[in-house]
Amino acid sequence: MNRIKQMINTREAKKLWRNKLALVALAIIMLYLLAALFVMAGGISRVTCDTVIGPNKMPGFYRQDTPEKRYENSTKKFLTKVKRALAAEDVEGALSEVSLGPFTVVNKSPAELEMLVAEVDALAGELNESPNLDIDPSLLPKIADLEAAEAQLKAPLTAWQQFVYDVSILLGTDAQGRSIFLRGIYSIKIAIQIGLVTAIFAVSLGAFLGAAAGYFGGWVDHVVVWIYTTFSSIPNLVLLVVLAYAFTNSAAKDTLLPVYIAFGATFWIGTCRVIRGETLKLKEMEYVHAAQTAGFGPVHILLRYILPNTAHLMLINFSLLLIAAIKSEVILSYLGFGVKNQPSWGIMIRDAGNNGDVVGGFFWEIGFATALMFVLVLAFNILSDALQDAFDPKHV
Amino acid sequence: MSPPPTNSDNDPVLVRVENAVKHFPKRGGLFNRVIAKVHALNDVSFTIKKGQVLGVVGESGCGKSTLGKVVIRLHRPTSGKVIFDGTDISQMSNQQLRPIRQRMQMIFQDPNSSLNPRMTVETTIKEVIGLHDVVPESKMDETIDQLLKKVGLRIDDKMKYPHEFSGGQKQRIGIARALAVNPEFIIADEPVSALDVSIQAQVLNLMMDLKEELGLTMLFVSHDLKVIDHFCDSMLVMYLGNVVEEMPCEDIHAHAKHPYTRALLSCNPITDPDQRGELTVLEGEVPSPYDPPAGCPFVTRCAIKTKQCETENPPLLDRGNGHRVACWEVE
Amino acid sequence: MPDEQPILKVRDLCTRFKTGRGIVTAVDGVSFELYSGETLGVVGESGCGKTVTNKSIIRLLPEHVTRYGEGSVVDYRGTNLLELKEHQMRAIRGNEIGMIFQEPMTALNPVFTIGWQIEEALQYHTDLSPSQRRTRAIEMLRLVEMPNPEKRIDEYPHQLSGGMRQRVVIAIALCCEPEILIADEPTTALDVTIQSQILRLMEGLKQKTGTAIILITHDLGVVAQACDRVIVMYAGQIVEMAPVRQLFHNPKHPYTKALLDSMPKPGRAGHQKRLPAIEGTVPSLFNLPKGCRFAERCGHRQNNCETALPDLIAIGNEPHSSKVRCFYPLGETA
Repeated sequence: MNRIKQMINTREAKKLWRNKLALVALAIIMLYLLAALFVMAGGISRVTCDTVIGPNKMPGFYRQDTPEKRYENSTKKFLTKVKRALAAEDVEGALSEVSLGPFTVVNKSPAELEMLVAEVDALAGELNESPNLDIDPSLLPKIADLEAAEAQLKAPLTAWQQFVYDVSILLGTDAQGRSIFLRGIYSIKIAIQIGLVTAIFAVSLGAFLGAAAGYFGGWVDHVVVWIYTTFSSIPNLVLLVVLAYAFTNSAAKDTLLPVYIAFGATFWIGTCRVIRGETLKLKEMEYVHAAQTAGFGPVHILLRYILPNTAHLMLINFSLLLIAAIKSEVILSYLGFGVKNQPSWGIMIRDAGNNGDVVGGFFWEIGFATALMFVLVLAFNILSDALQDAFDPKHV
Repeated sequence: MSPPPTNSDNDPVLVRVENAVKHFPKRGGLFNRVIAKVHALNDVSFTIKKGQVLGVVGESGCGKSTLGKVVIRLHRPTSGKVIFDGTDISQMSNQQLRPIRQRMQMIFQDPNSSLNPRMTVETTIKEVIGLHDVVPESKMDETIDQLLKKVGLRIDDKMKYPHEFSGGQKQRIGIARALAVNPEFIIADEPVSALDVSIQAQVLNLMMDLKEELGLTMLFVSHDLKVIDHFCDSMLVMYLGNVVEEMPCEDIHAHAKHPYTRALLSCNPITDPDQRGELTVLEGEVPSPYDPPAGCPFVTRCAIKTKQCETENPPLLDRGNGHRVACWEVE
Repeated sequence: MPDEQPILKVRDLCTRFKTGRGIVTAVDGVSFELYSGETLGVVGESGCGKTVTNKSIIRLLPEHVTRYGEGSVVDYRGTNLLELKEHQMRAIRGNEIGMIFQEPMTALNPVFTIGWQIEEALQYHTDLSPSQRRTRAIEMLRLVEMPNPEKRIDEYPHQLSGGMRQRVVIAIALCCEPEILIADEPTTALDVTIQSQILRLMEGLKQKTGTAIILITHDLGVVAQACDRVIVMYAGQIVEMAPVRQLFHNPKHPYTKALLDSMPKPGRAGHQKRLPAIEGTVPSLFNLPKGCRFAERCGHRQNNCETALPDLIAIGNEPHSSKVRCFYPLGETA
């Protein structure tokens, strides 16, 4: 309790509190974190993001579509998905990921639904009869489950579903007909996740190695300096490309693991350098000498006397690395080496470009992704600057 | 008052330094080779008897701080012995040193850097006591309170962090930390140099009281001849890593023999404006410790040098009464 | 003591800073005169306002947090320096008022030769040609007793020792022949033997050039050695102003007396005895007492000391007699 009071009472904290711009930035970052937490808690699933709710449309114009057209689009997409799932190796798993979702059925007339059900029936029949597909009969109940979804489709929309729908078409849809808003928000989670994991890993590793190198000197220092000099000579984008290829045939190829490894391998270097320098300075401080003459061992001195006094540097580095990681993630995903099979701002920007949307005046996908990233990075930059100012003894 | 050192010849010796040498390598060049050596300590020998306060005085770079750090084994001497209460600690490992560390403690110069800014006073002291197990856990709080009272701090100060104290108070905390493990021997490295005059006197008084009360033996390092003269029983005068003179403090004004000691005496700012004209200013500067003169270290600035001084370093010879001088020209 | 008009008159100087904890008055009502050819010592403990006073005179404090009092005047030859614009001030700094700082290490630019740095000051303030400037720079180095100035002029600061660097700083400060030289702890970072050299050099230069020197220091020894008149400051105010002999032999303010007493004295009389220390600490500028600022630590205080702030009053009638801020000056009432 006393410690917390102490933390709030520090000169640095007070200085930060006086910096109103930094507080606004902090509030924005908190909002992003809340959004990320919301996504993580299942508020927006990956499937939801991939669900087609309509063709490439401008915000607000979606409702003007004719029901027929909408039906045609969503049904086609849905059936393609089911077919693709049935052709997959792990049919059961793939099927379980196919969902009608709340959006495909919104504002459907009974006639539409009937048409849909008929299509599903036809499909089921086709599957039953088709020898080429070679489907395990035990999977048929699964298809029956899909049919059972009709019941759900026929039910009227609840107020909540209507709200979710309204929100998801807030910023229109992309070329594939997916909600831009939901994809953008989902990408916050990806960005924050990659940022946090990378920054935590890089700062811990950098601080540990830097403090050890600075404090012990000698061969430890030589080894650490050698490692980071070597690593920093590899551009991390190139490293990521290499890793992406290395993981092509592994189970991790679609996860974020390659991104983590590539960022983790290079991002700790800056922190390590800074902490090493600070340690070189701190170890000549008299209180460290006092601890040595008291008889404390090196581990104790590092943990209690050196590292706590580099906390401000770690904090600033953490904030800077977070930005760097988020920006790098976007660039890599844009190039196609980063995040896969999940929404990401990089992918959204790429999609917008590839489909010729931007050229055609459909700017909202690239616009929303860029704006989200811009605001987050700006907020973090302002916060890092404020932290640096707060910890700078020369500023009053 | 402790008796003058001349009467205490029978006192057992607590610290004996024999021919201590410390070189610091300077590295550089393509492969980080040793390209030069700083001769920080050059064949330094002396003894401190129990209860005695030995002062070490000299200008910056004379090796006085290195000497303190070698004695407390923050630095390992390049060669020579540091014998503490009969045991040579000069080459011991940190593990072996731990029990001895409890018996010798250090007070540091800069009150702003001698306390860990992230630790309260209580934690700072508790840590040291806990490490050496000098007090049972149950009596810890009581001990800390007594200690704080002893150095003139309030008991409610113990929950505070260093930045909440003034320089003088921080120095008191540093003293409390040093005394926490009941040491016999204290090395004080410029303990009052960073303090204002009025605070300097407070801290010197405190150290004086504690020394009397606890019967401490001390090595007191300072650049300020006035402080050394006031506080110590005898003093070493150092120049460029060499001890050039050792004498009881009472001898300094009347009997200081080495030309450097005499120059230091006259340079030390007098507090009487009437004596202004009598100042003799020592010309020149201290030579680089990377490249000390071949003979006597003081030869470049000495007014009474001869041919011999330029080639041979004079030995530190005993002139009786605990007075040792290293000079060819002093008989 | 010279009888002519003072070259610098400071009247009721108040310097306030805006800080995170509110407004703080670092210098409170400081008034003094400086005559050409004299060395005026400003002595006091850290935080007493001695540096701020002198930085106010040359306006080197960060403008955005500094406020000067309503009636504050720094009168240099009829102009109030506090009212000048920054570019007008620049013509005075270095040219009319030279400065020497504490740390000779950081006062010089490490990437230029010392000759370049002296010539730069000359280029800014004079119309000398480049070759004249170089000649003048060598002359200046010779003036500050730099050995072998023709060779040294092309060296970089890191090639010089601390004492030599301080000589270069003095040479830069004096190259435009300023009327006033403000030296802020010029010898604190130096060893005693070098300190004596620098103090002797400054005394010699003062006699040669007639420059008035304001010497800021915490060291009473330096004051005794180098100053003609002394200002003693405590918690932002002048507590005593006196000629140096009088200050040391017959201090009037209890603080001055206590400060002198608390220094270790040579000789056997006080050897290894307790020093008469001033107990307590300097009051915080954020929380100043209502009465005399020294009252809390004063051994001579009476009841009214804690309620009323004494004025700085002249003792005696001579024009340069000492002044003291005390209701009960020492050696007067006894």
